[in-house]
Amino acid sequence: MSMLPGFLVTLRQIFRRKVTTQYPEQKRSKPQRFHGRHVLNRYPDGMEKCIGCELCAGVCPARCIYVRGKENPPDDPVSPGERYGFVYEINLLRCIFCGLCEEACPTEAITMTQLFEMSVTNRDDAIYTRRELLMNPDGTVPHPQPDSILVDKGELRLADGWMRATSPSGRAAYEGIIAWTPTAGVGTRPAEKGQSAESHQSSAISQKDSEREAGSGKREADHG
Amino acid sequence: MSDPIKLTVDGREVTAPGGQLLIKAAEEHGTYIPRFCWHPRMKPVGMCRMCLVEVEGPRGKVLVTSCTTPVAEGMVVHTKSDVVKKAQEGVLEFLLVNHPLDCPVCDKGGECPLQDQTLSHGPGESRFVEEKRHFEKPIAISELVMLDRERCILCARCTRFSDEISGDPLIEFIDRGNHTQINTFPDEPFASYFSGNTVQICPVGALTATPYRFRARPWDLEAVESTCPQCSVGCRVSVQASQNQVLRLIGVDVDATNQGWLCDKGRFAFEHLRAPARLSTPLVRGADGELHEAGWGEALDLIASRIGAVIAERGPAAVAGLGGARSTNEEAYAFGKLLRGVLGTGNLDASLGDDPGAALLAGVPHRATIDDLERAKTILVWGPDLKEELPVLHLRVRRAATALGADVVVVHPRATGLDRDAAHVVRYRPGEGAATLQRLAAGEGDLAAVRAALDTGPVVAIVGRTGLAESADLADAVAAFALTLADAKVMPVARRGNVLGAIDMGVHPHLLPGRVAASDAAARAALAAAWGCAVAVPGRDTSGILSGMADGSIAAVLLLGCDPVADHPDRKAAAAAFDKAPFLVSLDLFLNESNRTADVVLPVDTFTEVEGTMTNLEGRVQKSNRIVPGVGASRPVVEILEDLAARLGGSIGAGAAAIAKEIALVAPAYAAVSWEALDWGRGRDGIVVAEGPFTHTPERRATDPSVGALTLHLGRVLYDGGTMITAGPSLARLAPEPAAHLHPDDASRLGFAAGDRVTVTGNAGSAAMAVAIDPTLARGTVYLPFNLGASIGNGLEVKVEK
Amino acid sequence: MTDRILTVRMEAHPTDSHTMARYEATGGYAALRKALAMKPEDIVAEVKASNLRGRGGAGFPTGVKWGFLAPTRPRYLVINADESEPGTFKDRQLLERDPHQLLEGIIISSFAIDAHHAFVFVRGEYPRSARRLQQAVEEARAAGYLGRGILGTGFDLDVTVHLGAGAYICGEETAALNSLEGRRGEPRIKPPFPAVAGLYAKPTIVNNVETIANIPWIVMNGGAAYNAIGPEGSRGTRLLSLSGHVANPGNYEIVMGMSWRDLIFGIGGGIPNGKALKCWIPGGASAPWFTPDLLDTPVTLDDIAKNGSMAGSGAVVVMDETTNVVAAAWSIVRFFSHESCGQCTPCREGTTWLQRILERILAGQGRPSDVDLLLDVCDNISPGLRWPPAQTTICPLGPSAVSPITSIMKHFRDEVVAMIPGAVTAGV
Repeated sequence: MSMLPGFLVTLRQIFRRKVTTQYPEQKRSKPQRFHGRHVLNRYPDGMEKCIGCELCAGVCPARCIYVRGKENPPDDPVSPGERYGFVYEINLLRCIFCGLCEEACPTEAITMTQLFEMSVTNRDDAIYTRRELLMNPDGTVPHPQPDSILVDKGELRLADGWMRATSPSGRAAYEGIIAWTPTAGVGTRPAEKGQSAESHQSSAISQKDSEREAGSGKREADHG
Repeated sequence: MSDPIKLTVDGREVTAPGGQLLIKAAEEHGTYIPRFCWHPRMKPVGMCRMCLVEVEGPRGKVLVTSCTTPVAEGMVVHTKSDVVKKAQEGVLEFLLVNHPLDCPVCDKGGECPLQDQTLSHGPGESRFVEEKRHFEKPIAISELVMLDRERCILCARCTRFSDEISGDPLIEFIDRGNHTQINTFPDEPFASYFSGNTVQICPVGALTATPYRFRARPWDLEAVESTCPQCSVGCRVSVQASQNQVLRLIGVDVDATNQGWLCDKGRFAFEHLRAPARLSTPLVRGADGELHEAGWGEALDLIASRIGAVIAERGPAAVAGLGGARSTNEEAYAFGKLLRGVLGTGNLDASLGDDPGAALLAGVPHRATIDDLERAKTILVWGPDLKEELPVLHLRVRRAATALGADVVVVHPRATGLDRDAAHVVRYRPGEGAATLQRLAAGEGDLAAVRAALDTGPVVAIVGRTGLAESADLADAVAAFALTLADAKVMPVARRGNVLGAIDMGVHPHLLPGRVAASDAAARAALAAAWGCAVAVPGRDTSGILSGMADGSIAAVLLLGCDPVADHPDRKAAAAAFDKAPFLVSLDLFLNESNRTADVVLPVDTFTEVEGTMTNLEGRVQKSNRIVPGVGASRPVVEILEDLAARLGGSIGAGAAAIAKEIALVAPAYAAVSWEALDWGRGRDGIVVAEGPFTHTPERRATDPSVGALTLHLGRVLYDGGTMITAGPSLARLAPEPAAHLHPDDASRLGFAAGDRVTVTGNAGSAAMAVAIDPTLARGTVYLPFNLGASIGNGLEVKVEK
Repeated sequence: MTDRILTVRMEAHPTDSHTMARYEATGGYAALRKALAMKPEDIVAEVKASNLRGRGGAGFPTGVKWGFLAPTRPRYLVINADESEPGTFKDRQLLERDPHQLLEGIIISSFAIDAHHAFVFVRGEYPRSARRLQQAVEEARAAGYLGRGILGTGFDLDVTVHLGAGAYICGEETAALNSLEGRRGEPRIKPPFPAVAGLYAKPTIVNNVETIANIPWIVMNGGAAYNAIGPEGSRGTRLLSLSGHVANPGNYEIVMGMSWRDLIFGIGGGIPNGKALKCWIPGGASAPWFTPDLLDTPVTLDDIAKNGSMAGSGAVVVMDETTNVVAAAWSIVRFFSHESCGQCTPCREGTTWLQRILERILAGQGRPSDVDLLLDVCDNISPGLRWPPAQTTICPLGPSAVSPITSIMKHFRDEVVAMIPGAVTAGV
């Protein structure tokens, strides 16, 4: 007798919609701001965005990033400015995928993609170096695993979650305001939808644009 | 400073010494006033305007800069009022108007006073929207310093340092108003021995040092305080390392020694620690006559068996040890104990014949401390050119002369760095030192005024070897004369980092640890009881050992971090000794001229890699600390020596800490010294060991040899051919070209012009070099820099020919 | 009685008033002979009694200043002839047309304060003035008025004429001293004041050309006679440099106390082309501006100060109704920005920032927030924007650049706002 309510539960569940999917044949779409593996971006002209400032390493709560800067060779610079990331390593076994490195990065050099399939058979291979992290000049990203049903390299191009999640100057509303730099292969990514909170957006936009035209980058405005 | 006075800071009554600047008085009572241009070791200029505070006056509250306002009785100061806050925010906003925000790239980012104070005292956001001022990004103003004028906030710290402190005003403001910039003079680089200090005190990233550029960020540096081993001043440094690599040295501000400053050699010579040429495994000479890498066991076994054989065949007197003047006290003590106790030889010496003599260094009565310069009325400098050999001591003497009103008397064969600030300059020709001293003591002729100055005490006499061609007896005689002056103290100076410490540790044929005469049988017996083995009777000093090597009476030699062939002034004798190739063991960082022929070369841990103490030229014992491991298989000297002692059937103590305790027990002068007492908090200023028990009474025994028309002045330069200089890329290229310097009169008499190639012949050979004309030289003198490529020996007689 | 002191000779003898012959022929160096027979302290007393006030800008009583000298020797007298304030050209006339008058004043003043070396710091752009003065010095030396044992007395004096290097800031006395010493022309922090530690750290008196040029007359006629000329607080005559939109620009030696209307419309001949008066600067570029409601106030030091400005160096710049006040203010601010020595952050960065904001407004690219921004940047240079100004800088150059902006904001705010697209005129 007392078993009957249990069977009833089972019976009801059978006719409910299934929530599990047949991974990897089927893949759920991920949230726009999903934190997958990192990528080091380039500008459309091929220059590296990373300037070797080590802010990502400094902010990393898991201490999994190791960066060393070096002076840019003046006749063949690697990145704009004086300094570039000469050594860049992330120990992905230690990484907790919090995304603070993206947030700390002053040049949007490091961003997180949607790809999380990166199992390794050797601990050493989990330490991604510049070879695995740095995108090619055409915007494609080297990934140690070959293309397979598991690894969808298209996800490597869905980077910049933070850029669209965090607004210029930390404002909550920024729809239509683009204050980030273009990236090789994809150009300037659009602003994330649904970030408009206030009604006087248009005037803020025009002011922001004119500030940029006047030669003051976003960084000046961000600092104080 | 006069009587204490009372004032009110933010409603709190505080007392401060009269004449003290408000900014300092407030800081000492816990109120930090933001600042950029003010530096406690330099005169205030009130330029940055960041330290504005309100002072209540007869006409209401007035904004004043607290760095230019001395405290006054009853003064009422507001440092946090709305007006002050607005003014400070305003100044910061102004400073950032033209400051590029390239903080992520800038080496100062993370430890930048401008960043920090913007966060603590600045406005949240800038309202400046125009294009910033632009200059060409970093320009190299010297081999060591890069200048980024965009980042400069024009605080004048670097220009004031160069003008007030170092006396090389090579960096200055040019243009005016919004176009003002710091720069060097055309065609004159910022070639100062002290340029690194401007990098250290720059409040932004405008001045950066090439050896540290982009090497690390402040947050990945570990730091430990230590003592600079480059010369015997013993400057306090903060050694900063990342990933087991020393990346920079920062001067620590202590009153006793360096007051925050360092010379560029001390600051940048750390590069040799990771030089590719540094030895990382033991080397043993094989049957093919070449040095081969070997294991520690193999190398130490070989040494033990060969030395054991020498002792068995010819007795312990056939064994000798040289060096220790670059080691810690613990290493030197272990070296001494190994030789004197375990091996039973009295042939050991830390001096390489280029200092004023161990007796004077260790035993001079009335030894002056560096801080005595602050109180001195007259300072006699009859010794090396301090700027070239003991640069930070030069800064302290200069400070006494320019800021404290002391009269400096410089006696030297050529112009020294101090001449411009000296009250009296006496020139003499090498070889006429004794006569000059006699005339000075008697106040004869033009020296009457100098003599009169020396009678105004307190007097500090800095005494050392002016040049290496002159007899060491002269320094002894000068010290003896100085001790006859009223209210005088003597500071005997030698260059090598821990030479006094090594002597104090008994690395000297006639001295046991703690300045005890080795001829004293009772003292030897007491030491033997402590050591548990016999203590050897006095043996040979360096020149005795060298001649012993040459005549074959010494068959085995241990070198502890020394290179007699390069450093001994009598190069001919040193080279002859090493040519005989006895069994030679060298503990060193690099292969050098002396250990190239060694049978065994052992790689050692050194500065920043071992813990220990050092004794500077005042007898001040200071702690040295470890922050990085050695390279490859290198090991601490004390461990190597202990392993060697064990193989020879003895023991010298297990580890530096244990040895330090033993030193305090057996060395009377070091009884009060312990590592705990030298902790960097309490023991920052170190411990000055008491004089004695051995007291040397300097005698007046200098006599002038008869010399020909030209005599040699063999002086040192800061950047010479030493391995620590040549192994680091930054300093190696700064060494000057060797040249024969002649007075213009001598040059014209001999028919030479500047740049002529000549052959200079001394007692140990000839060398070809260019002629340089130096009107500051005493007539009849040829000046050659020592240890810089060309070597002709150290005889006073010298010939210069086409 | 007398209504002119300094310009009588040059007016009567326009061709050769600068020569020794003419100077001696018209009573020159008589005052020196008289002074050398007096006791130095009596000369100081006469100057005190004359109530002569400094003509360089601050208007400090000269005799009182001399009394501040520290007792140590040597002492120096420095004549500040670095006349660079825009609109001021009175000293130039005194230097070029009557250098001996100044020289006689220098010798008497040096005797009075026991200085044996006097320096004249001449503006770098005044080479002719310096040549004339140098010539006068040589003539005087040849005639025994300078050198050892002047006129048979035991008094020795030498005068050095020094040509500056073209920096307005050297009009500030301590900057002039730095420049004389061969350093950068940057103001020093006071205290110590020059009277205690000035040139080469010795007690030094720094006086303006016009101030010292009055000394021979005072010695000749007595301090009381000088004190009888003009209203209280503005005794003696004063050279005013009238320029701008006036019919008769030029230097005028006047007895103070007349109204601005008499000065601008009487002496100055009014505004040309029938235009109306808009405003004027009463005392050089650093001074806040006056508007026509003050036309009937008297021209005296105290009245000008009471009305919120200063008589300064005597430069009166008149602007008519066609003047674009923003452009006028920009031109002054640009001057101060160019002349800032670069020492103090607020002045170095602030003046240039102000200049650039004004440039933006003039180019039609102002922002509504610029009105407040201008005033707040000014406030960060001169806290409280009050008169006389407070300052966050070492010297008053920074606050000087603030004056034109506070003036246009006070009197012509609507005009400024009208130039800014999108700004609201009322209630801002």
